[in-house]
Amino acid sequence: MKKSLKYLLLVPGIVMLVVFLVMPLLSTIMPTVFDQGFSLKAYIDFFKDPYYVQIFMRTLRVSLIAAIVCIILGVPTSYFISRCHPKWRGLLMAISIFPMLTNSVIRAFAWINILGKNGVINTILMNLHIIDEPITMLYTEFSVLIGTIYLFLPLMIITLVGVMENIDNDMMEAAESLGANRLTAFFKVVLPLSLPGIIVGSVLVFTGALSAYTTPSLLGGTKNMVMATLINQKSTVLGDWTGASVIALIMIITTIVVMKVLNYIAAKLDKRGESNA
Amino acid sequence: MGYIRLKDIRVSYDNKNNILEGLNLDIQKGELVSLLGPSGCGKTTTLRVIAGFIEPNDGQFLLEDEDLTHVPVHKRNFGLVFQSYALFPHLTVFDNVAFGLKLKKLDKNVIQEKVDAMIKACDLEGLGQRFPKELSGGQRQRVALARALVIEPKILLLDEPLSNLDAKLRINMRIEIKRIQKKLGITTIFVTHDQEECFSISDKVAVMNKGVIEQYDTPEEIYAHPKTEFVARFIGFENFIPLKKKENHVYVGENGALFHVDNDVDCQSCQATIRPDDILVITSVDNKENILKGTVEVRTFLGKSYQYEVATELGRVVVNSSNEHIYESGQDIVLLLPANKIILV
Ligand SMILES: Nc1ncnc2c1ncn2[C@@H]1O[C@H](COP(=O)(O)OP(=O)(O)OP(=O)(O)O)[C@@H](O)[C@H]1O
Ligand SMILES: [Mg+2]
Repeated sequence: MKKSLKYLLLVPGIVMLVVFLVMPLLSTIMPTVFDQGFSLKAYIDFFKDPYYVQIFMRTLRVSLIAAIVCIILGVPTSYFISRCHPKWRGLLMAISIFPMLTNSVIRAFAWINILGKNGVINTILMNLHIIDEPITMLYTEFSVLIGTIYLFLPLMIITLVGVMENIDNDMMEAAESLGANRLTAFFKVVLPLSLPGIIVGSVLVFTGALSAYTTPSLLGGTKNMVMATLINQKSTVLGDWTGASVIALIMIITTIVVMKVLNYIAAKLDKRGESNA
Repeated sequence: MGYIRLKDIRVSYDNKNNILEGLNLDIQKGELVSLLGPSGCGKTTTLRVIAGFIEPNDGQFLLEDEDLTHVPVHKRNFGLVFQSYALFPHLTVFDNVAFGLKLKKLDKNVIQEKVDAMIKACDLEGLGQRFPKELSGGQRQRVALARALVIEPKILLLDEPLSNLDAKLRINMRIEIKRIQKKLGITTIFVTHDQEECFSISDKVAVMNKGVIEQYDTPEEIYAHPKTEFVARFIGFENFIPLKKKENHVYVGENGALFHVDNDVDCQSCQATIRPDDILVITSVDNKENILKGTVEVRTFLGKSYQYEVATELGRVVVNSSNEHIYESGQDIVLLLPANKIILV
């Protein structure tokens, strides 16, 4: 085949990308920055409105806390799973991933049953006379957070187990022989070597939480809107498609910024510049 | 009384099969002792008992008469070199070597000094800021050694540290290990399944088989006087001929042939063993003893000699013979087994 001809093979791919990715993206961006000429007015208006800023901040906060909690819960769990006998590892992985196999609406309802006024927790606490009045847990930022963590923890675990499995046990033993107890060895060896996995996992959890719709809309109610539910309200309820596009773009930019920051931190901490051992 | 003592060690991973069984070993201070044996015989397991990664089901591990059997790994202060080296990929050579010293919370300047000295001693100068990935196999090996030695361990444990290196580097590195070991006077246990490597660097060798030590002696003694058939086979004896005792130093084969043996042992019926190199092919039969008659079955060329498989009245015998006389298969030949080369097991 002629050298120039081989580029023809790229055509179908490029057409796909343009039609299904570039064009929709452009048609989303264009109306938001054109108002009789180029203008960022729509964005400035968004950040001038305290109501919107509050939703933006809540979304960021929930996503960040979810990512952090997933790291804290995921790291020890994944380490445990990665050190298990392969026979048990598969089973434990299946159990951790299981929540991902059920529909997110059903999962949210499960939490409504647990956290609600007449839910499991309140019933138990009241029957034990620890509290007199039911605690409000449902339709708060707390319930959104719980639902989000539950939703995305499996992603963190899958990612981390993959990375931690490849950390040779010899390395832990070497650290121990040099005078480190198990915990020190974990912090000095396993944790730094898992860093690439922690970063990837956090990006997955953060971006997932940022764009999650079902969980916050079912567990957060109308008082605890996040960006995704706001987009839905703007577009389908209010028919304000330009407004919805503005929010969508803010989310995209936020995601990019957060990923850049995490990559920067990763590069700083991981001096080798390469993630694999 | 040894510096290191293993007393009646029994290890079982599944509580059914014993991997180590009644293993005893005494090692003097400053010695380099090798554990030699085929794959799966329990060398690594023995080393891991000493290092503290495995608690034996029975038995004791003593160091200077102090019972360390249940002391955790990180409190033992033993230097370990793994077959895989197990260097920390996220740390530079300097930080790898400094790892143990930092855990001891030594002063920064002291650490710098000790690490620099060790890097120099292990011939790693100028590589301090490199990451393990950026080193050759031999350099990684030396980093692993430096990291284990810099903590001034009471014992140095090496598990097949040379098996990932090419033949030439292995020889250089084993000389290097021996040199550093003697210089520091550190008691060392070296695991290997390479007989030559083991003989060349060890003060003493423990030949292991199926979880027990079959013979524990100097390399010279093991080479010249293997005590069991297993040890003899492992170090290159190939011919085993059953004999019965007639009188002291005189044995008789099943066919009535007499064999004089210089190294007599206390046994009534045993096996005579001899290396293929030590058997002579002779043409004239002038004495009647230590003689085996047979027919050449297979001839193979080994380079500096030919190897013959000979069918004799006392079974199959393997002989190495120089290139001067070549015997064809089917030819009848006479073998002389010198009395000073026969070992009884
Ligand atoms: N974690 C384990 N669980 C169960 N059995 C094991 C375990 N580790 C080793 N064994 C078994 O114990 C026996 C001795 O193993 P060991 O690793 O001590 O052998 P080795 O002499 O070091 O062999 P090699 O020369 O191949 O390294 C082997 O039969 C092995 O299958
Ligand atoms: Mg081994």
